Amino acid sequence: MQIKEKLKQAVGAELVSDSPGTLKAYSKDYSLLPPGMSNYAVLPKSAEEVQKVIKIANEHLIPVIPCSSEVHFTGSTIPKQGGIILDLNRMNRIPEIDERNRKAKIEPGVTWKEFQAALGEHNFMMMTPLLPHSKKSVLTSLLEREPLINPRYEYGDPLLAMEIVLPNGDLFKTGSASAPGYPQSFSEGAQPQGPGTIDFYRLLQGAQGTMGVVTWANVKVENLPKISKTFFIPFPEIEDAIEPIYRIQRRRIGYECFLMDKFNLALIVAERQPEDFESLIATLPPWILILILSAAGRRPEERIEYEEEALTEIMKVEFPFLEIWEALPGVPGLEMQLPQMLKKPWPEEVTYWKFRHKGACQDLFCITTLDRVPQFVTVVGEIAGRHGYDVTALGHYVQPIEFGAGCHCEFNFYYDPQNPVEVERIKVLYREAVENLLNMGALFTRPYGISSDLVYSRATSYTVTLRKIKNIFDPNNIMNPGNLCF
Amino acid sequence: MTKIKKEFNLDVTDINNFRYDAERCVGCKGCVWVDHIYMPGVEFGIKCPSLARYSFDAYAAYGREKIILGLLDGKYDYTARLLDILYKCTLCGACDAGCKRNLDLEPLLVLEAARVKCVRDGKGPMPEQKKIAENIDKSHNRYGSPHANRSKWLPKDVKPATKADIVYFVGCASSYVHTEIAQATARILTNTNTKFMLLDSEEWCCGYPLYSTGQVDAFKKQVEHNIEAVKKSGASTVLVSCAEGYKTWKVDYPKLLGKSTDDLGFKVMHLVEYIDQLIKDGSLRFNNQINMKVTYHDPCNLGRLSEPWVQWEGRRGKWGVTEPPKPIRRGTYGIYEPPREILRSIPGIELVEMVRIRENAWCCGAGAGVRDAFRDFALWSAGERLKEAKTTGAEAIVVCCPHCKENFGESIEAGKEKIKVYDISELLYKAVRK
Amino acid sequence: MGLMKEAYQALESIVGPEYVSEDPVVCEAYSPSRGGHGKDTAVETVLGEVPICVILPGSTEEVQKIVKICNRYKISFVPASTYWVTHAGPRASNVLLIDLKRMNRMEIDEKNMYAVVEPGVILSQLQEQAMRRGLYITVGGGGAQASVLANLLVWSLSPLNYKNGLPNRRLLGVEWVSADGEILRLGSLATSNSYFWGEGPGPDLRGILRGYIGWFGGLGIVTKIGTKLLPFQPERLEPVGISPDTTLQLPTNRMRWCNFTMPSREALVNAMYEIGNNEIGAAVTKVPLIWRYRARAKSKDEFWRLWEKSGKEDEVATFHILRVLLIGYTSEKQLEYEERVLMDIIKEYGGEARRTRQTDESWLKNADSARMWLTAGTYMSVYGHVETLACSLKGGEAYAKRKRQYTPPLMDDFGEPGWFQLTENGHMGYLEFLTHWEPYEIDEKGRHRVDEWYFIAGPKLDIEKGLYNFFNITYSPLYLVGPEYGPNYHVWMLKIKEALDPNGISNPPYPRCIDELVERCDWLKY
Repeated sequence: MQIKEKLKQAVGAELVSDSPGTLKAYSKDYSLLPPGMSNYAVLPKSAEEVQKVIKIANEHLIPVIPCSSEVHFTGSTIPKQGGIILDLNRMNRIPEIDERNRKAKIEPGVTWKEFQAALGEHNFMMMTPLLPHSKKSVLTSLLEREPLINPRYEYGDPLLAMEIVLPNGDLFKTGSASAPGYPQSFSEGAQPQGPGTIDFYRLLQGAQGTMGVVTWANVKVENLPKISKTFFIPFPEIEDAIEPIYRIQRRRIGYECFLMDKFNLALIVAERQPEDFESLIATLPPWILILILSAAGRRPEERIEYEEEALTEIMKVEFPFLEIWEALPGVPGLEMQLPQMLKKPWPEEVTYWKFRHKGACQDLFCITTLDRVPQFVTVVGEIAGRHGYDVTALGHYVQPIEFGAGCHCEFNFYYDPQNPVEVERIKVLYREAVENLLNMGALFTRPYGISSDLVYSRATSYTVTLRKIKNIFDPNNIMNPGNLCF
Repeated sequence: MTKIKKEFNLDVTDINNFRYDAERCVGCKGCVWVDHIYMPGVEFGIKCPSLARYSFDAYAAYGREKIILGLLDGKYDYTARLLDILYKCTLCGACDAGCKRNLDLEPLLVLEAARVKCVRDGKGPMPEQKKIAENIDKSHNRYGSPHANRSKWLPKDVKPATKADIVYFVGCASSYVHTEIAQATARILTNTNTKFMLLDSEEWCCGYPLYSTGQVDAFKKQVEHNIEAVKKSGASTVLVSCAEGYKTWKVDYPKLLGKSTDDLGFKVMHLVEYIDQLIKDGSLRFNNQINMKVTYHDPCNLGRLSEPWVQWEGRRGKWGVTEPPKPIRRGTYGIYEPPREILRSIPGIELVEMVRIRENAWCCGAGAGVRDAFRDFALWSAGERLKEAKTTGAEAIVVCCPHCKENFGESIEAGKEKIKVYDISELLYKAVRK
Repeated sequence: MGLMKEAYQALESIVGPEYVSEDPVVCEAYSPSRGGHGKDTAVETVLGEVPICVILPGSTEEVQKIVKICNRYKISFVPASTYWVTHAGPRASNVLLIDLKRMNRMEIDEKNMYAVVEPGVILSQLQEQAMRRGLYITVGGGGAQASVLANLLVWSLSPLNYKNGLPNRRLLGVEWVSADGEILRLGSLATSNSYFWGEGPGPDLRGILRGYIGWFGGLGIVTKIGTKLLPFQPERLEPVGISPDTTLQLPTNRMRWCNFTMPSREALVNAMYEIGNNEIGAAVTKVPLIWRYRARAKSKDEFWRLWEKSGKEDEVATFHILRVLLIGYTSEKQLEYEERVLMDIIKEYGGEARRTRQTDESWLKNADSARMWLTAGTYMSVYGHVETLACSLKGGEAYAKRKRQYTPPLMDDFGEPGWFQLTENGHMGYLEFLTHWEPYEIDEKGRHRVDEWYFIAGPKLDIEKGLYNFFNITYSPLYLVGPEYGPNYHVWMLKIKEALDPNGISNPPYPRCIDELVERCDWLKY
């Protein structure tokens, strides 16, 4: 039987396509990677259907490219060797919201918009990355280990047990959901570790679909705050921001906390482009730390009170030359809007903030320690300038992680995707920036495209072992080949 | 089939009394680590010198206990290595106090009983320790020096009484080598109008070098003689200025005799206990100031090993419960405070503490025949302790034992160290003399 | 049999004669009977072996050379950091024990809140140094004497994980001599020389280093790790007392223990859920009755006198003590706020405050695991998990019921449903089921029943109820539980083992130890 026929039998005839128009949509994304055509696209509705597709793929050694979001930014879902696009968008249920244990079960097609809305009805929320695209899959964000804007949780990762289809087509549950009889078991899938000596979930995180397909995941959810209070701390230079972040985070103050330059903040908060944007650029301080105190439980005012007192004391005693604002000049009401805004994805009806400036954006991000950020900023700025990039339009976003033990350091290069000169410029400077940052000790824990090659060629022992593991789970190398080091 | 004795006692001449203790060791290494509550970090985190020096688990109590069990079960016979493992240990009791923080086992008695067995099987002790035994047998002192010279240390300005409640048992080391300790002690007693006797030629070596190396049969001779001498003297208190002597009289004498300390018929007291009493009741006068920053080294035998011996026999039943309940000497009531009180009271002295103090003290390295048979190990241990002392910024390390003083002294000289070592009696005398 | 002469000479040339020995007396010190958890069960009595040789390397380079020699001459090896559990010792014959105690370096980056440690550093050492800097770690329930590195690679669970998170989250960069003698570098170490971060690049290979449990050296030897230090409070916890009564005095303006009597088990569980829901506290735990007696007793004899007089069944059914640790991480006012919220909750669920000593000798710096052996001279946990609190209660009750069939020879604890607590701000709970037995007044049948309880009855109950036991692998037959969980997680484990330990020399026969036992012991069939 032909592959297409088998796929039709697996998922239903109307849910398989090989039409060029359909496949073209999957062939590219918002990254700089060149397009790649797949052979088929299928839209399964269940884990059983996913299993069937994967078994077919193994039979014919044809790649499978899982994707769940409707939007992609990293190039990892662009087929590199043809294959079957496994579009998981139809698997978009939220089968369970467990109030007592503050967890929920989601399928891969559930978007941030859908999930936060559903959780909101139970007075819950999910910790979010920074303003994800509304069509972004929650599970994708978690599997990609996107940093959350809340560095408070010392156990930051919300991912718990999962159900996965392994590259050989076997259905497998990770963590405590692996217990026999789940979900009728005593175990409720609340814990991510194992089973056995393997943290399977860790092999799937950061894997860009190369190690299997997640068909559902239990995730931690949190209570919606009753009260929030927003603070803004302005800085003239990025160097001035580092020590305050260390000190504030060390005292476990606040929930959402991140540092941004005025360019990015202006993109986010400008109501109408470009007039608002220009006026914000003129008035906003060069760097702003956004810190939101939140209280969800009992005696919320008292909670805000003691945190605010500690915050004020730190600023007064340790940083008397810095200011701390409860409102942002030029953006009245932002302090009230932000707590709500940051718990939702970017509004669907508004141009995605990263596209507002020129239509596209290439993100360069790494993990480092806060004390290295200023030198990274200097170096990247110098490289960008040297390649003709307008450094005043270079976005910066620094996300402390886990009380400032580390941070996600992100540079946003805005460019016009229709302008080949700009596209080429970004490609060249991106590569140089990654190389330089690697030399300076930056960690590219989520390597995409060009950075994959640069990272894995350095991480020799890691690469060798990773390939061994990949070969164990996916001996036919059918899961999204051509990504990472595979 | 268990080899544990149901009916048992604490007699170290039968190692099977302690088989339970060796078997029930769970390897928690409480015998090696400084009490976790006080744990400072990696540096100074271990209190067992032999493990720190020789690294293999064989050189810690938990390892020695398994080795002893192997010997008892016929897995191997005595070898030079086995004896090396058993004897490269000062029986400092750090293991014992550490183990007893959590459990009711007797690691030190296992080690003592093992040495007795070695000797009785004709395999121990070390040749150098045998030589010490010969000296004691011949000349009643560990050095083999003329017995007639035992009281030569006595200065002209000190006149012991012919009859007194207190008999000052000087000990070999202070009699022959560190006579400054005997002299200082005697002068302090005189200075405080304390009547005391000496046993003179009736004073024989207390026997510590014999008991601690497993030579119990030779030890018995010393015990019987010395006790008879004290009885004859009519003294109600035996005062010592040597920690080894203190522990031997207070703990090992009744142990050998199958008695409790309280049943000896006299009290055993260290100089520091006596002086501490005088300070508390206000009758001690300090006439001089000594401006010095010092740190105090707890001698094992005055500290954690000095609790009174309680004779016991009984039965071990289900769950290991003993009937009657076995007394457990955990080192809680060691003589820790009196020397500190003394140092704090001397005008001008600033007392600073090391990390490993009291029941966690690091042994000076001299005891249980180690200085005799393994001089380099003894000096290494002393060197490690001096390193610790130097971190306090102290100018001197203060001890209550001539053997600690001797060992530290040799290490200081070998390393050309600036830090000094004093026996507490020396400082005391300096402070009280008119 | 001994090592080949040439092999021994090669080992000696690496570390020097002072640090290697095949003297049977020296090796006997590493007898399996000193292995703490697992002692007195068939894992020790049937599988345990004295090593054929012991070697003490001083550096990663030496470890690598040793492992390569082992691969050349097909010498099985097992690494031991403190040898605190039976799985740290050899469970096959002719094994080289690699004693890592000399590798005890520790470095702390206070600003970026992590420490780099070698295997010889123990938990209380790191905790002290962390606390001096206003930071702290979780001292795993295994005990303050456990190696930081080894504990984090295997278990490392404690009430402090309520705020500090699961152990696998606290593992950062890793330097690992694989079983075939290559050096693997994970996390930040993969592309730099820093240990500060644990993830990736890409799929996270910490995922094969440990899962719910670790390899106990079955995939080579980890020689250095970075580990998280968490923000603490700045006041000193003063150590006071003389053994055995040593303890840390809490600075009560920033830390407090609170004990409460709850009217029922249900109220206790509900209160715990609500505490987690409000994200207050630093540890939230229920105290088994027997622990209270053990804490009060000055000795084993005294414990039994008190225990014999106790109300036993009734007391277990009605004794519900909730213990909460509050830490004012941010300020004194935080402590006061949390105490108010806590009292609101306790009042709502009908609880009453009890007098509480403001000291700690059991969780913060000294996790008092050695004392577990005081009661009977034996102890082993048959079950432990991190799952919801509700599952913890159900699981504990199921185990208490099944335990009756094995009591005696197990010690009766009158239906105690184990010890449970909260993890990760109440998103998860924790259950551990601890049992004891009399080691000498027991016949062979009784000894076999004890083994059966741990290695067969427990795993079978896990499967029956769908429980998730972190003692799987160590105390369950892999071929019994493996097919049931995942399913077939064991297949992947064994494939990884084969790929990374091609000569099969790293800690044999792990992970099939219990399967080996089942083969050899006719009293362990399923």
